[in-house]
Amino acid sequence: MPLASRITALWHTLFHSAALDRDLDDELRAHVDLLTERRIAAGVDPASARRDALREVGSLARVKEEVRAVRIGSWIETALRDARYALRGLRRSPGFAAAAVVTLALGIGATSAIFSVVRAMLLSPLPYRDPSRLVFVWSDMTAIGYPRAPLSAPELNDLRERSTRFDGFASIWSTTAALTGDGDPEQLRVGLVSTNFFSLLGADAAIGRTFAVDDESTDAPRTILLSDALWQRRFGGDPSIVGRAIRINGQTTTVVGVMPAGFRLLMPPDAAVPDDLQAFVLLNPQALTRGPRGQQFLRVVGRMKRGVTLDEARRDVDGVAAQISREFTSYGANGRRFTTVGLQDDDVRQIRPVLLALFGGVAILLLIACVNVAALLIARAASRSRETAVRLSLGAGRSRLLAQYLVEGLVLAAIGTAAGVAAGSAGLRLLLTLRPDALSRLDAARIDTAVLAFTVAVSLVWGVLFSLAPLAELLRTDPIAALQRDGRRAGGSLHYRVRSTLVVAQIALSVVLLVAAALLLRSFAAVQRVDPGFRADRILTFRVALPGQRYASADKFNAFSRQLQAALAALPGVTGVGAFSHVPYDNVPNWGGPYLSRPGQEESTAVMADNRAVTPGLFETIGAHLVDGRFFTEDDDARRENVVIVDDQLARRSWPGQSAIGQRIASDPFSTGHPVVWATVVGVVRHLRHRSALEDLGDQVYFPERQVQRNPMAYFVRGGDAATLPAAIRRTVASLDPELPVADIRPLEEYVVAARAAQRFSSLLAAAFAAVALVLATVGVYGVIAYAATRRRFEFGVRMALGAQPRDVVRAIVREGSVLAAAGAAVGVVAAAGAAKLIAAQLYGVSARDLASYGAAVVVIAVAAIAASWLPARRATAVDPLSALRAE
Amino acid sequence: MARTELLKGTLDLLILRTLELEPRHGLGVAERLEQITHGTFAVKPGSLFPALHRLEADGLVAGEWTVNDEGRRIKSYELTAAGRRRLAAEKKQWARIALAVAQVLGEA
Repeated sequence: MPLASRITALWHTLFHSAALDRDLDDELRAHVDLLTERRIAAGVDPASARRDALREVGSLARVKEEVRAVRIGSWIETALRDARYALRGLRRSPGFAAAAVVTLALGIGATSAIFSVVRAMLLSPLPYRDPSRLVFVWSDMTAIGYPRAPLSAPELNDLRERSTRFDGFASIWSTTAALTGDGDPEQLRVGLVSTNFFSLLGADAAIGRTFAVDDESTDAPRTILLSDALWQRRFGGDPSIVGRAIRINGQTTTVVGVMPAGFRLLMPPDAAVPDDLQAFVLLNPQALTRGPRGQQFLRVVGRMKRGVTLDEARRDVDGVAAQISREFTSYGANGRRFTTVGLQDDDVRQIRPVLLALFGGVAILLLIACVNVAALLIARAASRSRETAVRLSLGAGRSRLLAQYLVEGLVLAAIGTAAGVAAGSAGLRLLLTLRPDALSRLDAARIDTAVLAFTVAVSLVWGVLFSLAPLAELLRTDPIAALQRDGRRAGGSLHYRVRSTLVVAQIALSVVLLVAAALLLRSFAAVQRVDPGFRADRILTFRVALPGQRYASADKFNAFSRQLQAALAALPGVTGVGAFSHVPYDNVPNWGGPYLSRPGQEESTAVMADNRAVTPGLFETIGAHLVDGRFFTEDDDARRENVVIVDDQLARRSWPGQSAIGQRIASDPFSTGHPVVWATVVGVVRHLRHRSALEDLGDQVYFPERQVQRNPMAYFVRGGDAATLPAAIRRTVASLDPELPVADIRPLEEYVVAARAAQRFSSLLAAAFAAVALVLATVGVYGVIAYAATRRRFEFGVRMALGAQPRDVVRAIVREGSVLAAAGAAVGVVAAAGAAKLIAAQLYGVSARDLASYGAAVVVIAVAAIAASWLPARRATAVDPLSALRAE
Repeated sequence: MARTELLKGTLDLLILRTLELEPRHGLGVAERLEQITHGTFAVKPGSLFPALHRLEADGLVAGEWTVNDEGRRIKSYELTAAGRRRLAAEKKQWARIALAVAQVLGEA
């Protein structure tokens, strides 16, 4: 057959099927008429002639079905017709359609949102060239409480010179610098990088260039590389900025390039390298190779040679560590150990278990959703068993009906997927607004082609599976029996058993999610209750960095700080002012070093402490608890002997059973790597949590800022009018030094909230999951109980006619719901106990076997189940007994 | 007389054969078939009409609505040129098979 006429035939099949069907009807009617006439002509009476003719033809429906099947493209036409039929069916039962589509949208939406997150965080490679060859090298100082410490410049040099399996090593450290000129002075977060840092990562500048070897020479002009954000905001995206000079820390500095907009530094969260650095300058570690080996501040990234495995690279680095441990006595008996980890793995080290737990949660949710839809479809198939029986007896093939179920399931899946993708992208947007700062890679999460493909694949599989659920119903349908029985009673006990099993499974899965949510919420509550050692309310903080040349001497430094504190204290409503080298929970690199607590103590036994500098008034302003001794005063400056305040943890460890006051301690305020400066302890404060809301266990040494100057300093102002204070602060600083940038004016509360964001994030997510699961399970219980109540209408009618009270009927129905809930809860509690082990690492201050959480989950599910059975129960009693009996 | 079930491919060939001389409607095809096989083959509408429509879709026969002698509107089928070619080819093929079968049976 020529192609043209085939296409014409296909056209007719698809778009003129009604006309074709009419023709076919006419043809068959004529056939029957002709047969009848022949019989009448042979002498049969007209009535029986027609009956005989019809019998000879057999099922007209089946003949038509088979003729349709031979048309070109008939399967497309059939599928379209089934799809139209399915849509019409959904429109006819809007309740069923809404329940199914909402259920699917919730399940699929959650799946696509979480899958896009997992993809962004775990599956997509870091945005660097050949990222699988990048490793992060840590200094392993577990013995003194720092399993992941940075490296010193001589150590980086050793790695570069002695390792054999690497193309190179690069380093980064972060600090702040003042940008002045052209507008308000501003404090920038700056990365101090080795020359090869960007070339080693394989990241290039968008305009201009990154650093080159020539930039290192001492007579070369100072150079800076800008981030896209800073370039856009501060320089209006002007490309001619490259080659121009700007003023950084009062020094003329040439802009060599601008990084691309998408460039982000994705270092491990505990590397203390912020991922939103605004500019990069050179810190040539080569110049520092003669520095002390204990001065550890470099975050070191290495690139393995092509074909080298992580194990080989690790042995290589370990070999270098062993060599230098032998050669340099300053490492002491324990020597130096390095830890080499893949950059990608390290970056997601902390978030991976959370994400996997989330993925598990979403899988459960999708499972619940699909069980619901399957149950709905089965119920529908049962309620249509009479229709099915009619069609079977009219000669429709079972495979034909099966195909129709399949199309129906796929139509439902398609609508559900569309709604689900919409729900998913809304959910993802919500997720992104809630994300903790540490999860910046989340921003890359998108519902893109791959996520869509995944979602559609998942829905297709489910669409097929749940459309097959009513298959059992179809295969069981015995046309004759179903027709003889009253339609209302169709669908037997097998069907009820299947649905009850599904509902029990649903309840069990919901209990798992409810327990997880309860555990995480209780963890979050416990985190909230942790005493950080300070009060954050009504405190505004800001940073100022004093440019080195103008504030070169300690006297100038102290004079400025004293003036600023006095001026701030004079602002209306201000009740306390102090300055701190670190805002609690900020992302300024930690400052720490070893200390000795006894004269003559071996340095190799030194313990590490976090070092902080504070001005007089700071502890009072943040409400730190003085355990012993005194806080600093303005007299604790260069004219007096060196003094320190320590935390109670250090005091207990160093001088158990004695007063710490008056004890001598050697510490490392200038980051030499050695405990070299002796001072007298004048006070003990309760341990302040300032690095993390949870894992902050390092000993603490506080230096008086007047003796140990730190730059930049963060100023804390308690009280004052929140609305006008920021402007007043800017005016005050400008009146003392108009060139000085004021950075990060933020309430202290913000830092505290951010520090708890991870817990809040996971507990919110878990609660959202549990809520969705609860809704779905409640719908499931309602569906099965409402169905059961309808089936028992006759029985209830009889019982009420015989004098049973409505209350008895309600009790009977609610009991049915309670049995389901009890069975589900029992299975769920056992499953939850297993699942809770997976999230144990996310728990804080609550055991994975916390009875209250399990109890709460069981109570919630019980209440939901009873509420879900109450409604159909009420409806059953509202039926007039007589009409119920007559309906049978 | 015992009626024999009809093989599918054979049905197509037989239908084409009944239309060789003149156009017929569905019942006409069925009656002619029964007649030329002396009642051996009885074709039911459930097989006849799908076969006719399949042949029509393949362009071997052409269906046309006409009015018969009693003034009834009927669909009558006519062999197309492609149908005639196919019939000739099938006949030849069938003759070869029949010969082969006859030889096998003869030897047995």
